Amino acid sequence: MLQCIFLLSDSGEVMLEKQLTGHRVDRSICAWYWDHAISQGDQLQPVIASPTHYLFQIVREGITFLACSQVEMPPLMGIEFLCRVADVLADYLGGLNEDVIKDNFVIVYELMDEMIDNGFPLTTEPNILREMIAAPNIVSKMLSVVTGNSSNMNETLPAATALCVPWRTSDPKYANNEVYVDLVEEMDAVINRDGTLVKCEIYGEVQVNSHLSGLPDLTLSFANPSILDDVRFHPCVRYRPWESHQILSFVPPDGQFRLMSYRVRKLKSIPLYLKPQLTSDAGTCRLSLLVGMRNDPGKTVDSIDVQFQLPPCISTADLSSNCGTVNILSNKTCSWSIGRIPKDKTPSLLGTLVLEPGLQRLHVFPTFRLGFRIMGIALSGLQIDKLDLKNLPHRPYKGFRSLTRAGHYEVRA
Amino acid sequence: MFSQFGATAETLSKASTMMFRIGTDAHLYDDPEDVSIAPLLDSRFDSEKCEALKRLLALIAQGYDVSNFFPQVVKNVASQSLEVKKLVYLYLLHYAEKRPNEALLSINCFQRDLGDTNPLVRAWALRTMAGIRLHVVAPIVLLAVNKCARDPSVYVRKCAANALPKLFDLRIEENISAIEEVVGKLLNDNSPGVVGAAAAAFASVCPNNFPLIGKSYKRLCEILPDVEEWGQILLISILLRYVVARHGLVRESIMSFLIKKESSHQDEEDEFTRIIEGEENTDLKDVYEAELANTICRSYIEGPDEYLSRASYINIDSLKLTSASYTSGKINEDIKILLQCTSPLLWSYNSAVVVAAASVHWIMAPMEDVRRIVKPLLFVLRSSNASRYVVLCNIQIFAKAMPSLFATNFEDFYIVSSDTYQIKALKLDILASIATESSIPFILKEFQDYIRDPDRRFAAATVGAIGLCARRLPKMADGCLDGLLSLTRHEFFSGELGSLDEEAGVLTQIIMSIWSIINRDPIRHEKVVVQLIRSLDAIKVPAARAIIIWMVGEYRSVGEKIPKMLTPVLAYLAYCFKSEALEAKLQILNTNFKVLFDARGKDHLIFRKTLAFVLDLAECDANYDIRDRARFLKKLLECNIGSCLSDTQADCLPQNKNLHCVLAEHIFGGKLKSISPEPLSNRFYLPGSLSQIVFHAAPGYEPLPKPCSLLQDDLDLISTTKGKNMPGDGVAESGTTGMDEFDASDGSSDEGSASNYSSQVTMTGSGSDVYNSESGSVSEEANDAGPLIQISDIGNVDVAPQTGNDYMGDLVSKSALESWLGEQPGSSNTSISHSNRVHRSSARISFGNIGQRVKPKIYVLLDPANGNGLKVEYSFSSEVSSVSPLLVCIEVSFKNCSAESMTEVNLVEEESSNGQDSADQIVAAPESFSTSNSNMPTLVPMEEINSLEPGDTLKRIMQVRFHHHLLPLKLALLYNGKKVPVKLRPNIGYFVKPLPLDLEAFTDNESHLRGMFEYMRGCTFNDHIEEINKDKDGDAVKDKFLLICESLVLKMLSNANLSLVSVDMPVDTKLDDATGLCLRFGCEILSKSIPCLITVTVEGKCSEPLNLTVKVNCEETVFGLNLLNRVVSFLSESPHHHP
Repeated sequence: MLQCIFLLSDSGEVMLEKQLTGHRVDRSICAWYWDHAISQGDQLQPVIASPTHYLFQIVREGITFLACSQVEMPPLMGIEFLCRVADVLADYLGGLNEDVIKDNFVIVYELMDEMIDNGFPLTTEPNILREMIAAPNIVSKMLSVVTGNSSNMNETLPAATALCVPWRTSDPKYANNEVYVDLVEEMDAVINRDGTLVKCEIYGEVQVNSHLSGLPDLTLSFANPSILDDVRFHPCVRYRPWESHQILSFVPPDGQFRLMSYRVRKLKSIPLYLKPQLTSDAGTCRLSLLVGMRNDPGKTVDSIDVQFQLPPCISTADLSSNCGTVNILSNKTCSWSIGRIPKDKTPSLLGTLVLEPGLQRLHVFPTFRLGFRIMGIALSGLQIDKLDLKNLPHRPYKGFRSLTRAGHYEVRA
Repeated sequence: MFSQFGATAETLSKASTMMFRIGTDAHLYDDPEDVSIAPLLDSRFDSEKCEALKRLLALIAQGYDVSNFFPQVVKNVASQSLEVKKLVYLYLLHYAEKRPNEALLSINCFQRDLGDTNPLVRAWALRTMAGIRLHVVAPIVLLAVNKCARDPSVYVRKCAANALPKLFDLRIEENISAIEEVVGKLLNDNSPGVVGAAAAAFASVCPNNFPLIGKSYKRLCEILPDVEEWGQILLISILLRYVVARHGLVRESIMSFLIKKESSHQDEEDEFTRIIEGEENTDLKDVYEAELANTICRSYIEGPDEYLSRASYINIDSLKLTSASYTSGKINEDIKILLQCTSPLLWSYNSAVVVAAASVHWIMAPMEDVRRIVKPLLFVLRSSNASRYVVLCNIQIFAKAMPSLFATNFEDFYIVSSDTYQIKALKLDILASIATESSIPFILKEFQDYIRDPDRRFAAATVGAIGLCARRLPKMADGCLDGLLSLTRHEFFSGELGSLDEEAGVLTQIIMSIWSIINRDPIRHEKVVVQLIRSLDAIKVPAARAIIIWMVGEYRSVGEKIPKMLTPVLAYLAYCFKSEALEAKLQILNTNFKVLFDARGKDHLIFRKTLAFVLDLAECDANYDIRDRARFLKKLLECNIGSCLSDTQADCLPQNKNLHCVLAEHIFGGKLKSISPEPLSNRFYLPGSLSQIVFHAAPGYEPLPKPCSLLQDDLDLISTTKGKNMPGDGVAESGTTGMDEFDASDGSSDEGSASNYSSQVTMTGSGSDVYNSESGSVSEEANDAGPLIQISDIGNVDVAPQTGNDYMGDLVSKSALESWLGEQPGSSNTSISHSNRVHRSSARISFGNIGQRVKPKIYVLLDPANGNGLKVEYSFSSEVSSVSPLLVCIEVSFKNCSAESMTEVNLVEEESSNGQDSADQIVAAPESFSTSNSNMPTLVPMEEINSLEPGDTLKRIMQVRFHHHLLPLKLALLYNGKKVPVKLRPNIGYFVKPLPLDLEAFTDNESHLRGMFEYMRGCTFNDHIEEINKDKDGDAVKDKFLLICESLVLKMLSNANLSLVSVDMPVDTKLDDATGLCLRFGCEILSKSIPCLITVTVEGKCSEPLNLTVKVNCEETVFGLNLLNRVVSFLSESPHHHP
């Protein structure tokens, strides 16, 4: 089981250590880790066998979460737990960075103490945690400034710990009962050098934001569940109804949560095309990019941008576009943000790349990542049939939305 | 871009951060020590305490050691504020192991909190108390856990389950069976949350106690989907282990590869072979994978280290796996349930759960059903980078053993630019191992894109993967070769760019891949070799050149074209020699020699010349390696002249060949062997384990249990008598019928056994008949054996004559009389009496002149070296203060070792500037003092010594109130107008006064102070050995037991203010065995008049170090524990420590 968790800043400083068992871990392991991480660069593995401990590490927003163990344990358990800690902290502190963790170190300690006991996760359900330890907010901050003291510890044990639905806050009350169901999809696509679509799939989530009183029982069904290739569920979903009828039956947690994620494979059409052209000769290279609609989804496509990494052998680049802005960062990452495609012209980017001296031609080619967002449509074609609510005193308001954005949407030049 | 705005933006963001930080604990983290923490901790306000604790926490977070605040922090554990409590707990758990004695002070509070109405308070108290991890409190924690395991609150029960591994970690053997019992109880809990935590406890406490699982297997399976995700992960693997141990492996699963070898000879098994062979026919390459699958399955059961070490020298079949180890998964209910209950978990959000469930299916499910793990595993790849890596590592093994499983999903392993290098490499390897003839065109097309990736290491890995594909699918080999060859012709490898490191790596990898393909069938690929040799001129990368040159030598006689090419090629190489790099030069030398070795006739002469030329060049090379190689070859060459190398003697008999010739042939004449496909990693561990990721067995890794190692009989036995696999239970049970008292240190079984014991001693004798019938005669006989009992002069027994005179007499005489009548129950322990024929009984004695021999230990307060000749020593006096029960009397002796007289010697409190005044107040108001229970350290001052002449020694009695059991009291020593700070160390042994008790009262008191009020520790005792040895020379008459008793009593009384209640002596036929000796002491806490009972029992041989068990019964938990610690520490001190 886990013995210790360290939080490291992006400069390798140990911000926090939480010893979990009697076998204490010296923080010198962090120095070892940091040296190792630097020497490994991008080859750093998430599971490392150091001379004294096995280390699990994840990096979120520059913060390294490092957990140590000396014995056999499922490595995914360590990693998933660290991810959960990072999620909870980000949720509590409104984002993750060095300052926010240092500023709220007491809350971080209190949270970690509730989340793990003796190296084994104790309470990881965000709803229960929120009831046990209040998240910092403006009111509590102001209160602490004015009165000089404030406790963020709840005096009583959340009732949910005793229920069979530990994810749900005990008996919430709302004046307006409302529930929103969002389909949020990400499209992964790979277009190879020849311009053919080698892979296109959707990774989607059903996100629910529920503000319902009491202990409601919800049933959600899809019009075309057969298109789903595979699914994963929030613990609240009952397995049986899905196995027999592909119906989602659940008692929802309170607030925003991810009810289900799904995958739809082998799609054939993509909304946007990107045509890269690279010709190189005599030490320079001409780059031209064209972006346009391929299959109009019927809704506006916005937040279009293109990102790519210039190959290391390019010394200077001069890029210009007919719409949007182009940025080149010092690590040779270029981003071209277009926004919406104008009606009158096709966005294009032209540029001249100068190769390193001695190189005549470019023989490695960058990969272009396309980003976009389409509101109001789920490109997988998945449709919600109906949402039934039981156990509710009033008729609630139900809202449905969908959104598709680009995931790993790549075009190889 | 916005450089002109940059500054503004930065200040803006800083300002917003400042705004954001208001009201947080930022200032505490940034500057935790800007105020003094200690006074805040003692504050009356919770908010100030909180602030202090937060500052300490900040210091801990930053890695400072703030354990010196421990005593002050511990005091706050009693706070009612939950926030303070939580912060104290956080601090306490961080440092408890460092400061065990002070940590004990918190135990009382925890015990109180355990009875709180708020479940949160109970849970926290339990978590922290168990987390402190002190051996002393283990029995208390065990009791608390037992209690909390029945708590109405789910959360508390869950915490109780979590506390079990903490207790187990202390490795106290007596507790283990009790812990396992609680694990079993919690596994049967109604709440899934508790079951999950209990599963975690089971995994770390008793992972192989399968009978415990067997009792509730079905229920555990059914509850599995409702258990929390973390519990699921562990519970799944527990259930898997149980099923394998109980029912063995599944005949239709991948594990059936194991019996393939055996079964091929047996007709009855042909059903299995048909299944497997049917699989083989569908896929040509399955032979190789079956071999691999066999290795993998074996590794699962035996552990790879064991398996590999054996496989390397003996035949593999020593693992007896017959069809008896198998069962049909389609028929067996338990297996069906397990698979049913784990399949919905494949939909879990938690990737660890998915992998755990997948590994159950991988091992147990019939092969046609294993497919259902594919999609969930692939879906998990969409989660975080870190878990993606681990999942891919597992998929890699699955895919290698059973390529058909993932063959249709090859698209999922296509690489995207955001993958890290590790993930790319894993995906390439998986793609190469799942490629089929239908998918390979797509995969190769994809690979072509990868070769142009800017990440050249990745490109090189891709080329390696192409080689792997070609080897797996020989039909595609030609296509792959063409592709690879065309790559070598690319301009970017031939030009000067070849010097770029990464490109060189890619090119080298290309040549390696080509070679690996050629090597399988060199004759067919002759043309490729020729092409490569032709491209030598264009390829500039030394490593790649070296491989090609090596191939020239290796394939010198393959086909028709190559032998013809040899002459010009060697000439060309000789010509280039000077400009080559080291590795290429070495290969040129080798190749030349190899070619010469085979050559006949005219060629021979030409090659000889070329070689001689190259050798000459090499001998003057700058590199010593090359010079050495040249010399070596030259020597070989000289010896071979005219022997085996010449055409005429080619048919000479082997024995005529000289040694050099044989050597040369061995080195260079070796024929090509086709190399079998290399297994990538020979070490396989259970899927989802840490060991599989790090490729070695991590501590605590266990392979699957031996199939069918758990028999139904075992299970039945457990469920009926509940004893066989749980020795602890056996002890507890036998304890109630007749158990040796000295084994009874198990917290839970104490009650029964100890009370039996005492009932025997007192004459009420409710349970003693049982023993008497058996041991009565024995003890009589033993009593006759020797004069073991000696009744002492009553008056001299007294230890502290001034105080104890009046009661000790009665006590001793009465108890001594009793002792004649009493028998030792331990003797009747059936096991001992039957096996050893050792019979014991006991008698009780008391001592004579021991009072005179008690010498309180003397401590040094001030050394003459430091004190300009003043030597101050102190010893705790057994006197009881007349002023207040809170005061302890200390005898201080002042000695002037200097040559001059000293004046105005006195000891005062350090803080008070005028010690006299404060002391006056106390003397004036003793009542208020004792009632108000003030926290101020106090000192009833001694009479000042006006002058101390050189050589003089003066003694004074001082009365001190220590405000803490363990912390030294700071005093100031005044003399000659100077002030020297000194520290007076408390001795908890003198915080008590002797309690007049007789044995009956003792046992009665003891019976009221059971359970939480009883603490035990063991130690060894050595003092008596010296005495016994001394005795040997002199009069041998003195009894050994008496000696032991004397030295024990002396030690006890010299270190603590106790009264001896009774001594139980074993009456033993074996005179050397002191086991059964038992001493009882009584005392009373000075400040509160709470009785405190000490029992010391002895075990061991007289002439060897004895094992003592010290037991303290006291209502005041903390005091009792501290006293116990103190007693144990001085008992185990060696006698030479005495001044």
